Amino acid sequence: MSQRIRDRQLFGIRLKIMLPILILFLPGMAWGFSDPEILLPGGHQPSTPMEVLFYASLGVVFGATMCAVLLSFDGISRDRSSGMLEIRLAQPMPRKHQATALILGHWQAIALPVYALMLVCLVIVRYRMSEWPSVVETLVYLLSTGLILLWYTLFALLASTSAKEQGTAVAFGIGVWFFFTFLWALVTTMVAYASGVAIGESNDPTWVALEGALDLLSPNGVYHHLLETQLPTVDRGISAWQAWFGAAVWTIVPWWMLHRRMEGLVP
Amino acid sequence: MQGFRLSQTMAEPLLTFANAEHRHMISVPTLPRPWKKVKGPGIVGLNLDIYSGCVLGLVGPNGAGKTTLMRMMAGILPLQAGTVSARFSSTEAKHVDDLRQWVGHMPEQVRWQGAQTVREALEAIGDMRNTPSKRIEGLLDLVGLNLRKDEQLDNLSQGMRQRLSIAAALLGSPKVLLLDEPFNGLDPVAAEAFTQLVKRLASKGVAVVISSHMVAQLDQLIDRIALLHRGQLLDEGNLEEVERRLNLSNRYRIQGKGAIDIASLLSDIEHEHLDFEGDENEWSFVFRGQAEAVLHSLMASATVTSWSPVAPNLVELLCAATGMEVEDISLEVGSSAMLPMRVSEVEEDE
Repeated sequence: MSQRIRDRQLFGIRLKIMLPILILFLPGMAWGFSDPEILLPGGHQPSTPMEVLFYASLGVVFGATMCAVLLSFDGISRDRSSGMLEIRLAQPMPRKHQATALILGHWQAIALPVYALMLVCLVIVRYRMSEWPSVVETLVYLLSTGLILLWYTLFALLASTSAKEQGTAVAFGIGVWFFFTFLWALVTTMVAYASGVAIGESNDPTWVALEGALDLLSPNGVYHHLLETQLPTVDRGISAWQAWFGAAVWTIVPWWMLHRRMEGLVP
Repeated sequence: MQGFRLSQTMAEPLLTFANAEHRHMISVPTLPRPWKKVKGPGIVGLNLDIYSGCVLGLVGPNGAGKTTLMRMMAGILPLQAGTVSARFSSTEAKHVDDLRQWVGHMPEQVRWQGAQTVREALEAIGDMRNTPSKRIEGLLDLVGLNLRKDEQLDNLSQGMRQRLSIAAALLGSPKVLLLDEPFNGLDPVAAEAFTQLVKRLASKGVAVVISSHMVAQLDQLIDRIALLHRGQLLDEGNLEEVERRLNLSNRYRIQGKGAIDIASLLSDIEHEHLDFEGDENEWSFVFRGQAEAVLHSLMASATVTSWSPVAPNLVELLCAATGMEVEDISLEVGSSAMLPMRVSEVEEDE
């Protein structure tokens, strides 16, 4: 079942529309950030392949996660509105298995093209910097990107279980994406203000620690924490085990919630 | 979810619902509790047996609970109260999920859509039942879609989509086949072919449940009828039994030409005058009683062009079963009130 969902989405019109965005955001950013002449705000210059991949991960946060939501937002609501959901729920395949197939099918549909483009990113970095990232760095990069795509797929499918029509499904999915991608900085700022911490002072250890801790509550933040485990120069007060624990929570909780929603799903 | 037991006893029904209940949860947001939900309409206190090889017509107006009951039978909606017993094979099952193995469900109005082909769409459902591809080929042949199997779903007509839904319901070689408003969108030829298919399946021992609000369409097809209204089973049995219980049997319509005085002509014959329309050029007389005697009497003084038994329609059945007027029934179809409605003549006598 997951294979059929994956193939339908992989060769569907939506991915064709989103592919230029992904190409622009992933290899495009890798090309830009690996420029030997690049000077980032604050005078910083990426000097290692992992640093380039870290900065290029903005393309994953802004582009790939949005594509994950746009591929999955109607994963269940479309079948509900067409009547297909009733046929599926009447099959002997347990609902938990159906939920797992839905998750894996939709996740693979976005993960496969993203992984293909990430391999291109690695080649670009090698070409521009004459250096490969280490095996561990590459594995963490690929694994954490796979995880963030999974989280947004889960959010979109969860929204889809509740949505009675497509508009609600897309609003919910994009809303969650927008909240964590653009509005999370506002949440961080508000919490800092309420705690009496100076806002935006990158040299203030209190602000850095607060931002690091709050990032554990956001999937994008956890993604960056995971990548930062391979950046020895970055320390935001979150250890590797805390980042991986956060990742496990962001994976298990929505997965479990989706299984629960599927168990009680009504056509 | 309720469990159910399986055992092999030929004389027993395949499926037995006892005091089964499923009521939909309706959102009633209040200021302190915006998530508040209450029990709304659904199915209450249902006792029903489904027999092997028998075609059961599930009949009721809009909102009667036909689709809800179908979904309960399909194992889609759990029982909130009561039990369901299933006797399909010697294997014993412990969970209601196992019910789905033996039940084929065709929902009402499935909009098959997308770039998938007919065959791919059926295979996708078949994967969930581990159906072999040979069986899928056979089913496409059975429902007359074999020549269209490589057609995209978007290009199918409504009738073809209905056929595909039937094929999907038959994927698992079901012991119980549930068909929700199957005649919708079928042309007369397809409807007739469908009727023949249902009869053939029933003759092979498949228990078929057909929901419809069109009693006339079911007349030639069903062995038993279940009358549903406001989530409750008003009456159930074979059509003659139900008609007799509701005092709707033994009714005839005679049509003819020529001037007649019905009252004097039939004064000596025991009958109940139900309706007379028309004039001496063409008239139609509906009555309950001795058809042969009335017919002979009328033929003696006028030209009889046709005579036929009058089958009850849904409105008559409902009015008779509830004791309500048609206006009251139609107005309260949308009501979510769940009140005891069983007011058949048999019960009144008791």
